[in-house]
Amino acid sequence: MTSLHAYLVVALLLFCIGLYGLVQRRSLVAMLIALELMLASVSLNVVAITSLSGTASSVGQVVAIILIGVAAAEGAVALSLFVAIQREVQSINVENLSELKG
Amino acid sequence: MNWDAFLFGASAALALIGALFAVALKNIFHNILGFALALVGVAGLFLTLGSDFLAIVLLLVYVGALGIAMVYAVMLSQPLDAPPRRRSAAKVTGAALLAAAVAGALWLVLRGARFPVRGGPLEVTPQWTGYRLLTDYVLAFELISVLLVVAMMGAVMVARRDRTQAGRERLARARAAEAGAAEAGEAP
Repeated sequence: MTSLHAYLVVALLLFCIGLYGLVQRRSLVAMLIALELMLASVSLNVVAITSLSGTASSVGQVVAIILIGVAAAEGAVALSLFVAIQREVQSINVENLSELKG
Repeated sequence: MNWDAFLFGASAALALIGALFAVALKNIFHNILGFALALVGVAGLFLTLGSDFLAIVLLLVYVGALGIAMVYAVMLSQPLDAPPRRRSAAKVTGAALLAAAVAGALWLVLRGARFPVRGGPLEVTPQWTGYRLLTDYVLAFELISVLLVVAMMGAVMVARRDRTQAGRERLARARAAEAGAAEAGEAP
């Protein structure tokens, strides 16, 4: 039986790898990938805690399904925004998106 | 070494290696493949927790739908053979330090945490999850479906080419050029 802490440590590492990617990358698609990694680590956390500890595991399943749905909606909107941005600015590098900078 | 521990170790390694590929490699296409690998690892972790249904949903949504959509977005945006621009070492180090600091803080919290232990992972069948989703948690279920519909319609509207005046002009020019090329091709 693998302990709960092992799952939580894996989720922690996934989250921090995602955070590093989100801060370090400049391509919008790469930043979205990092963000989705962080979301996946959160749902792993929820499922691990509710199925290895406590009494009610139904909540974990439902929360994870909601998280996956939100991630899918977010990804669809974000990717279509990237396509629109590419069309306007001819780049999806965040350092070129400085139109609102004074 | 028993089967459970082996499955856990293999899935965790797959998830972490995939995540490293997803953020560290230069080529955006390799990043997407690494992302898919990481999500396969997370699905394996869900399997070791007894949540078969969630593992399948995760594979379908993330690896199947989102991965393909990302490939499309990359194909529609930047050229893959463009040379990567240099990144200043200070910024990379700063990002790594930030991630390490967050990891350290979370580890401090995690180390002291004590959780009441359940005997083993519960078997959560798809029937049981579906029953719960349509009885106790039906509001969340309906909200998710509304959110998905709105997001899908919004995505289509945002990505339309004739959404702005400039976009409409570009589209008209492209169509005129296409028609001109077709005529030129037929003439001789």
